[in-house]
Amino acid sequence: MQQKKSLWKRLTGSREASLVLILVALLIVVTILSGGTFLTPSNISQIFRNNALTMLMALGMLCVLLTAGIDISITSILAFSGMTIGLLQKYDILRNTFLLFLIAALIGTGCGLLNGLIISKGKVAPIICTMGGMYIWRGLAYVISNNNWASGADVSGFSDFGKDGSIGPYIILIIAYVVFFIVMKWTTFGRRIYAVGSNAEAAEVSGINVDRIITLVYMIMGLLAGLSGALSVSIYASAQPNMQYGKEMDVIAACVIGGVSMNGGRGSVVGTFLGALFYAIVAKALPLIGLESIWQNLIKGIIVLAVVLLNVLTQRAMDRANLERREL
Amino acid sequence: MKRKVVSTMLCAAMAAGLLAGCGSSSSSSAASSSSAASSASAASSSGSAETTETAASSASEAVKSGSTAAAGTADASGHTYAIVTKSAGNPYNEREASGFQDTIEALGGTCIVQNPEQATADAQISVINSLISQKVDSIAVAANDANALSAVLQQAMDAGIKVMTLDSDVEASSRMVFCNQAGVKEVGQALIDAVYDITGGEGEYAILSATSQATNQNSWIDAMKSIAESDDKYSKLVLDEVAYGDDEPQKSTDQTQALLQKYPNLKVICSPTTVGISAAAKVLQDQNSSVKLTGLGLPSEMKEYIGDDDSHSCPYMFLWNPIDLGKLAAYTSVALVSGQITGAEGDTFDAGDMENSPYTVTTNTDGATEIILGPPYKFDSSNIDEWAEVY
Amino acid sequence: MAGKSGREINAVPQSSVKQKILSWEGGLVIIFIAVLILGAAISPTYNFSSVFREMPKYLCEIFMMFAMGYILIIAEIDISVGAIVCLAATLGCFAGNAGVPLAGVIAVCIGTGFLAGCLNGVILTHFTELPSMIVTLGTQIIFRGIAEVSLGSGGSVSMSNSKMIMPLATMVGPFPLVFFFVAIAAVIFIFVLSRTTFGRKLYAVGSNHTAAHYAGIPVQKIRMICFVLIGTMAGVCALFYLSTTFGANTTTGQGYEMDVIAMCVFGGIATTGGKGNLIGATIAGFTIVCLRIALGQRNINTQLILVIIGLLLIVSVLIPRISEVLGNRKRRAAQS
Repeated sequence: MQQKKSLWKRLTGSREASLVLILVALLIVVTILSGGTFLTPSNISQIFRNNALTMLMALGMLCVLLTAGIDISITSILAFSGMTIGLLQKYDILRNTFLLFLIAALIGTGCGLLNGLIISKGKVAPIICTMGGMYIWRGLAYVISNNNWASGADVSGFSDFGKDGSIGPYIILIIAYVVFFIVMKWTTFGRRIYAVGSNAEAAEVSGINVDRIITLVYMIMGLLAGLSGALSVSIYASAQPNMQYGKEMDVIAACVIGGVSMNGGRGSVVGTFLGALFYAIVAKALPLIGLESIWQNLIKGIIVLAVVLLNVLTQRAMDRANLERREL
Repeated sequence: MKRKVVSTMLCAAMAAGLLAGCGSSSSSSAASSSSAASSASAASSSGSAETTETAASSASEAVKSGSTAAAGTADASGHTYAIVTKSAGNPYNEREASGFQDTIEALGGTCIVQNPEQATADAQISVINSLISQKVDSIAVAANDANALSAVLQQAMDAGIKVMTLDSDVEASSRMVFCNQAGVKEVGQALIDAVYDITGGEGEYAILSATSQATNQNSWIDAMKSIAESDDKYSKLVLDEVAYGDDEPQKSTDQTQALLQKYPNLKVICSPTTVGISAAAKVLQDQNSSVKLTGLGLPSEMKEYIGDDDSHSCPYMFLWNPIDLGKLAAYTSVALVSGQITGAEGDTFDAGDMENSPYTVTTNTDGATEIILGPPYKFDSSNIDEWAEVY
Repeated sequence: MAGKSGREINAVPQSSVKQKILSWEGGLVIIFIAVLILGAAISPTYNFSSVFREMPKYLCEIFMMFAMGYILIIAEIDISVGAIVCLAATLGCFAGNAGVPLAGVIAVCIGTGFLAGCLNGVILTHFTELPSMIVTLGTQIIFRGIAEVSLGSGGSVSMSNSKMIMPLATMVGPFPLVFFFVAIAAVIFIFVLSRTTFGRKLYAVGSNHTAAHYAGIPVQKIRMICFVLIGTMAGVCALFYLSTTFGANTTTGQGYEMDVIAMCVFGGIATTGGKGNLIGATIAGFTIVCLRIALGQRNINTQLILVIIGLLLIVSVLIPRISEVLGNRKRRAAQS
């Protein structure tokens, strides 16, 4: 069946490729609007560093969305784990960067495990379970903070890891993306996640332990959210109980822009990366192109909606093209 | 059968929830349980309360009749005083509330501290409504929005509660008096002078503010602008942009980097908000940028960034003492409840051991009454270590 | 179990009195009474008049809860309602300040909500592949964005003639006026859902919209109606919000969507569609409101109140599952 496609067909025929086209178009517009100063090395590194959290959590969200679930408690888990390690440093209990990251990751995994068990064993709808989690973990972050921040000097050694110029955040991002790319593409575990998302009943019948996969997926999400908590404290040198408030929607939007379906079973690591990158570029570009601050949210909303709609249109075109080919 | 199980379990869950609620309340707000008791005792021993009131009112008459002597600090016992901060989880608000609470309790009153769940007017309305139900004697509120609270504060005043604002004001008609941390003009003057000093008298500067609707920040920025326009001294200063970091570290970082990139000739960033100034300080210091920073910030958050040499991004900044602001609000609340002052211009009251005591109610340029704590305080390399321990 | 085929339609009215008491709604009534007793026990000022005095602010949200119930029953979700409230309140305020009479302000608020709902509905019915969550996420940013832009740098507006909107905030005896409007809305919404063919169609669409489509139910039309309805109710909410605050700002309505969804879920409406009814949701809504007022009067840490509500939410949806497992075990024990 494989026949040689024209370049145009190949570009419009794959979601990732069409997203790359949109990204390039966006970059050209931004470069022109900012007077040709957008794509400098320092800007590019800042794009990745300032949006490392969204990019990291988007990977976990990809897995969750693939199983047709959703997790809106991630930024609350982030705040809870970030606040915990912030306070550990503030009160001089622990100063080891590696151990702090480990603790944050463990807290996140624990929260994720709870989510996963309630969703898989308790048969609770993911949005409800994680909505409860959203209130609970955020509330606990406030309670343990006792109205204090850990910042500046409190986290001085730890913040060197995420300092401007340090390669720490990039390494975490690269490792995470490479690992996820391999796992999702070439391991049975990755295949099973897709299977569960496409048709849970069929997966169950074919011998996949659906409950375990779902629990694991939320654990992974929690792990990444916990890591992001530590990363956030390190990058911004501050731990506040309200950190990243409301940003879970950004993560979900980044995934959807990257072509991940919210009905499960469809989406890829590359697409997620492109979606998160798209979001990051918009966030970086809006203040740069000389737009008045109060317009920025409106423009951001319009861009997000436009890209999501565009995604649907390209998907339709793809389906139609496939249908035509079959008819030939 | 199944449904019976459902309902019994629901009740059990409910009971567990209640237990959790009660358990936590005993630790987090022990004050409120005693508030009920004390208000009851106040009712039974109205005799003593009356005498305090008459004493206080005669004192205030003395003030009105032209006597310059300050009236003594009123007794707070038997009354409940509430403070509503801007939001939970913020050390500045916490210091403010602790100053308020310590003073009220030292004067023998009962204190309720309420931190709304979010920094929105909505959350404050719920909290204030609940305080009205509890029939507290006074409410001191640091408003998140100048307009949206007026209805509920009006209701509180109709219910006989003394309403005052601190830190951030509402419409003058919906409160009795405003405890201002520093005059708007003084803050604007201090900031523009700092910019003038650090730039060396000429050059470009930018402002990194909180949200676009932050009342305080907007009024200080307006004051800066009008001072810069009215005096030829500042004619060589160019304001490039007012950016908004929404008091979020991430957005403030993005905005700071954008400012650096958009305006290569930028010399100074002025950030009159705690989150903004520390985010900007980190960006500038990490990049070893030649751009310098000033503004308003908490010493404990800024300790790492303040210094005279090039390795520090912020030569000096300003703030007032939030603990003192809370204290002043407490003395004002007590004076309002005792009837010693009514919030009218010229009212004078004694504020214990505070530096500028006695304080006098003045009228600002908009015709609203306020009590000014004092001039903003300068933090530089010589005193930052000392103050970082305090707040 | 979790499959679409196994979903039951729960709209069949139950007859026996005993069953009614032991149903989810019966349990909710017991909890509601428990909350009232708790309130009176922990706070000396928790009484009839103080609860009703504090209630209007929360009652505004209950308007949206009814329509959100419809939305959840057809297995959709709308997270733009908070932003619609913000936009409608802002525009209503501007209209009032421009000298428009009360009727005009009412029209502006409700009209804005209606149009916003239409926009959501049109996008969702024309791009049926898109989940409602992501579309309303996009429109949420846009609606609040429009409000931000129209509010300008101050970010806040107040009603210059607050006397005009006051009639909506009057008290009728001990009851706030808005309470009667909520009651009327409750009766209409509950009646339509449980006693009309339209209500039945909602359950059909939510249980299996493909099957509903083949059964001749105009699925897209029903989705459109529901989204317009919730937009309109958000407009009504904005109107009464204005009457309690006399103003609006960029944070107005923040988090309302989650509050409202939580009330529905606590009331037994499943987010997967086709299950639950509005009687439960109404009781649940008032239960949460009274609980918040009671805990608020006890001056409990506001963040802790959120933790309690979060726990309540999870526990309440876990209970049917736990009782099911226990029931199965008992049955198995009885069989052996």
